[in-house]
Amino acid sequence: MSETGGVPEIVPEFVLPPPTGAYRRLNPTTKLLIALAEALIAFGVRGWSGPVVVLAIVLASGARAGVGARLVPFLLATIPLVASILLVNTFLYPGATDRIFVLGPLAPTWTGLVFAGQATLRVIAFAMSAAVLGLTTGPDELVADLERRGMGRRTAFVLSATVRSVPRVLERVREITEAQRARGLDTEGRIWRRVRGLVPLAGPLLFGALTDVEEQTMALEARGFSAPARRAVIRTFPDSTPQRALRLLLAAGTPLVLLVSVIGMLGFLP
Amino acid sequence: MDWLSRQFSTRVLSLMVVAIAINIVIGYTVQTVLKLPIYLDSIGTILVGVLAGPIAGLVTGAASNLIWQYAPGIGGGTIGPFAITAAVIGVLAGIWGYLGVYRSRPATGARLWAAAIIGVVVILFLASRIYNNPAYTDPNVGGYPAWVFTAIVVIAIVASVSVAGFILVRRDAAGAWVAVAGALTGIVAAIVSAPIAAYVFGGVTGSGTDVIVAALRQGGQDVYNASLGQGLFSDPIDKTITSFVVFIVLTSLSPRVVARFPLGERIVTDSEG
Repeated sequence: MSETGGVPEIVPEFVLPPPTGAYRRLNPTTKLLIALAEALIAFGVRGWSGPVVVLAIVLASGARAGVGARLVPFLLATIPLVASILLVNTFLYPGATDRIFVLGPLAPTWTGLVFAGQATLRVIAFAMSAAVLGLTTGPDELVADLERRGMGRRTAFVLSATVRSVPRVLERVREITEAQRARGLDTEGRIWRRVRGLVPLAGPLLFGALTDVEEQTMALEARGFSAPARRAVIRTFPDSTPQRALRLLLAAGTPLVLLVSVIGMLGFLP
Repeated sequence: MDWLSRQFSTRVLSLMVVAIAINIVIGYTVQTVLKLPIYLDSIGTILVGVLAGPIAGLVTGAASNLIWQYAPGIGGGTIGPFAITAAVIGVLAGIWGYLGVYRSRPATGARLWAAAIIGVVVILFLASRIYNNPAYTDPNVGGYPAWVFTAIVVIAIVASVSVAGFILVRRDAAGAWVAVAGALTGIVAAIVSAPIAAYVFGGVTGSGTDVIVAALRQGGQDVYNASLGQGLFSDPIDKTITSFVVFIVLTSLSPRVVARFPLGERIVTDSEG
């Protein structure tokens, strides 16, 4: 069920009520630039400050957009990476001698823990910024707005067609996996069995997908895809002067912040 | 600019869409569902690069990782920053395509055996370069986890036997070039990936390959060299397998279909054309 309550997700987006809330109403390109700036600052500004500030902004915008609870699965998806970062760096940080405790061969260090904590925050801030963008901005909306701003028709096609085709290919993988499992394929046993399971999975998927290329090419050409005329973009999204100013600020300010950070002028920050 | 626009014909764009989806879905399945310590997330990138050229390969590689990062349902994780590596893989694939590396070369007798021997020699040479890499051997860099050396020798022998067997069984000398292209792509990918993994994620990626990183760190490697050591271990294997998958796919497709792509004629043999 969609967040509108009681409306199944199969209902086309254009019949749903327009988005509410300050963040959701932002132009799709503004939201894209915000997410990119967040990602760059989370990774580019070292120490605690960059990731902490970004995470605070991301969580606030997520809550403002009403997607706070829907961020949880994205947070859970980072657990394997976060666990790996914490374990490898806390217990195996090269050259660190400030041990927290020693328990047999285990000797976690404070240096490793701080490094792991900062890396963890960066990963979570980045994952959450991507999630907020994904949850509040439809790929079609974003592509339509970018196309209106001058993005090439071919780029727009690749972006929107790929986003649409990924769930279809995933569904095909599920069907192939189930069909092969019914024939005795082992996808959860020892590593060698799992490797062997790849061939009956990848083969039908690859050849099935490649046969689609010819059909899609002919369908596109039949619809005048290569015609020189510029495509009319029917969907428009609200924009405003403050948003234009914000985009300009993000486009100019983010590289500046990264530059200042790289040359060490933000060294006073924790 | 004609060579550039030819790389983005309607047929190539359709292939790119399919290729990006294949990269994402097979990569996701291998790493998340099958949990194997390899990636296999560049089959589509190499396919597009080989068939359409380096710029199309670059775009396919970078777009795969960026779209995967933001894809609903399977997005997230660490894949986005590695778009740079994927782009480099695409460029290399385009160069292999121009050089006709993936063209089938049926052979018999001495020529076939020469190809098998060349394939084995090149793999052993590359393995020796990895074996002697400072990431594993320089005392100023770190320790000497003994299992790494054993594993490199075992993998080199298995790879040599597999490549020689592939060439001899299929009677196709192209196997030697395909193996070399895959291994070189893997080495370049490892060198490009190492600083990204080290700087962005503290040296780990949350996948099965982190076991190798942990082992190298336990041996005393620093963050960068542990990532490089892991990459030099995993990437040549991954990209060589990917390279052979692409070769098998290309030789299984109808030559008529392959020849329609910008570099198709460099892949289709004279007898097929």
